[in-house]
Amino acid sequence: MELNAELLIGTKVVDSAGESVGRIEEFRVEREEKACLVNTYVIGVSGLVDRLSAWTLVRPINKFLHSHKLYSLYEIPWQDMDLTDPRHPKLRKARRDLRPVN
Amino acid sequence: MKLVRDVLDKQLIDRENCEMGRVSGLIMHVGEKSQPRITHIVIGGETLWMRIHPMLGRISKRLARWWGPKRDGPVRIPWSRVETVGRDIKLDVRARETGAIDWEIWIARHIIEHIPGGGEKGEEEE
Amino acid sequence: MSKALQIALGIITSIGGFLEIGSVVTAAQAGAAFGYQLLWAILLGVLCLIFLVEMSGRLAAVSKHTIVDAMRERFGFPFFSIVLLGIVLVAFLVLVAELGGIGLSLQILTGIGFPWWAIPVSFGVWALMWKGTFSLIENGASLLGLFTIAFVVAAVKLHPDGASTAHGLLPTFPGEDKAKYGFTAVSILGASISPYLMYFYSSGAIEDEWDESYIPINRFIATFGMSFGGLLSMAVLVAAALALQPKGIDVDKFEQAALLMTTALPKWGFYLFGIAMLFACLGAALEISLAIAYFFAQGLGWNWSENLQPSKDARFSFVYTIIIFLAAIPLVMGVDPIKVTLMGMALTAATLPLAIVPFLFLMNDPIYLGEHRNGWISNSVVAIVILISFVLAVVSIPLQVLGS
Repeated sequence: MELNAELLIGTKVVDSAGESVGRIEEFRVEREEKACLVNTYVIGVSGLVDRLSAWTLVRPINKFLHSHKLYSLYEIPWQDMDLTDPRHPKLRKARRDLRPVN
Repeated sequence: MKLVRDVLDKQLIDRENCEMGRVSGLIMHVGEKSQPRITHIVIGGETLWMRIHPMLGRISKRLARWWGPKRDGPVRIPWSRVETVGRDIKLDVRARETGAIDWEIWIARHIIEHIPGGGEKGEEEE
Repeated sequence: MSKALQIALGIITSIGGFLEIGSVVTAAQAGAAFGYQLLWAILLGVLCLIFLVEMSGRLAAVSKHTIVDAMRERFGFPFFSIVLLGIVLVAFLVLVAELGGIGLSLQILTGIGFPWWAIPVSFGVWALMWKGTFSLIENGASLLGLFTIAFVVAAVKLHPDGASTAHGLLPTFPGEDKAKYGFTAVSILGASISPYLMYFYSSGAIEDEWDESYIPINRFIATFGMSFGGLLSMAVLVAAALALQPKGIDVDKFEQAALLMTTALPKWGFYLFGIAMLFACLGAALEISLAIAYFFAQGLGWNWSENLQPSKDARFSFVYTIIIFLAAIPLVMGVDPIKVTLMGMALTAATLPLAIVPFLFLMNDPIYLGEHRNGWISNSVVAIVILISFVLAVVSIPLQVLGS
């Protein structure tokens, strides 16, 4: 199946139980000669902050607000992502089985 | 490498250092059991407008049929033609052969070169 | 060119390119209506501008990206398209005002109404862009803009009171006409903190091939160029305070603004005013046209440079050609450039958050700027500018309705 990767950005991802996990913010890929292999999908607000290279701004604000919400970040291996319906990506695991990245 | 930060929306440069647009989209092949692969870079056209709303993509496609260079869809560059990914993305292609600067050539030929001082006719063929 | 000469040229072109119809009309209105009371608004605008311009130059010199380049890459096309729409629409309005300013200057010099000048003026501006290079436009137009130093001469000749002038640099509340005071302050800030100036400056740094070694030069030019330019704006306000306020003259028409020069310089003031405004608005019109074309070209990844022949960057040339001639249409129809100016300044203030918020992110990006990214002082200033810009965004349109 061929799809437009850029249209996946910002799409909400649910786990196998239908519970919301976050939004796709980034793709970690490995460059090869003829293609880029997608290794992981980065999900969560921290992925957006990372994409905007905004940590130097966000960390001090986060510290000031004593907020932990901004640090939600999951890196989902490609095997665990079901893109049969690209507009509604689903994980093949439950949220409780995911380990957030610190 | 991070696809969105390092590739998407980056400036594309051909082997003659000509600016040939920005990465508007990326084609991903997804199989049932195989690892997803990014196989093509997409430039311009309705791909860009689709990122805002599908309706804008359809309008862009329809408008392109009436005016400007005639193309069958946006320009696709195989990933195999990517030389380097750095400040810009350098491609091992010649921009005018890919169709990426068809609009540039069309506007130069049909409008700019008809205005005195715009440039010599057919200069862009060099 | 030696670095010292580059600094000198940079400062001179910043001074010569500072005043335009927006800053003159708003400063003249402020002086005529409120005396020295709004000098603080010009000071605040200039201080903000010094930091923003320095950052624009630094970003370009270190990252080799213009602000627009970096914004598209970092924030993606959907966000970029919103900024494009907002900034370009407002910049277009300001372009109409500047072309109108050239027309009004020619009107007072020749007696021929500005609608008749709309097409020849647009054609002239376009021709300079078509045939000129970046140096010619940046340096040539700005050097001619040094005629605006006549406003300083006029202000000095009217013998301003030093203590009252200094007092005006501190914010005060007006006794009456609060809505008008607020609107005028907002317009002054909109005239000073213009996003298109930042985009033009960063594009110019790329056109001039700046690198990290230009960081000190950039700092000098931004600080002294904008400071001296700000003095010109203050001179307009002071001259208006002395020449117009005592006579109860409000600046609703362009010709009334001329009185601030003719009162001080009865023999030559009228022609000096016309010539100074002509060159000031010409420089601004060129700058805005380029800024709009740069926005499209850099954001969409086209070939761009004012130093290329038009056919070599066809889409870039096409954009400025179209917008210049579109901008002539309202003027041909007789739309009042002064009204367009005030609306443009208010809308510039209202859309500032669109320009400044992404800029804060870019100036802290370690990939673009490395060790040259913002320190806490610059970040604090940008944060204050963002705060001001959000306040302006909320109040500018209601104040325009109530106060204009």
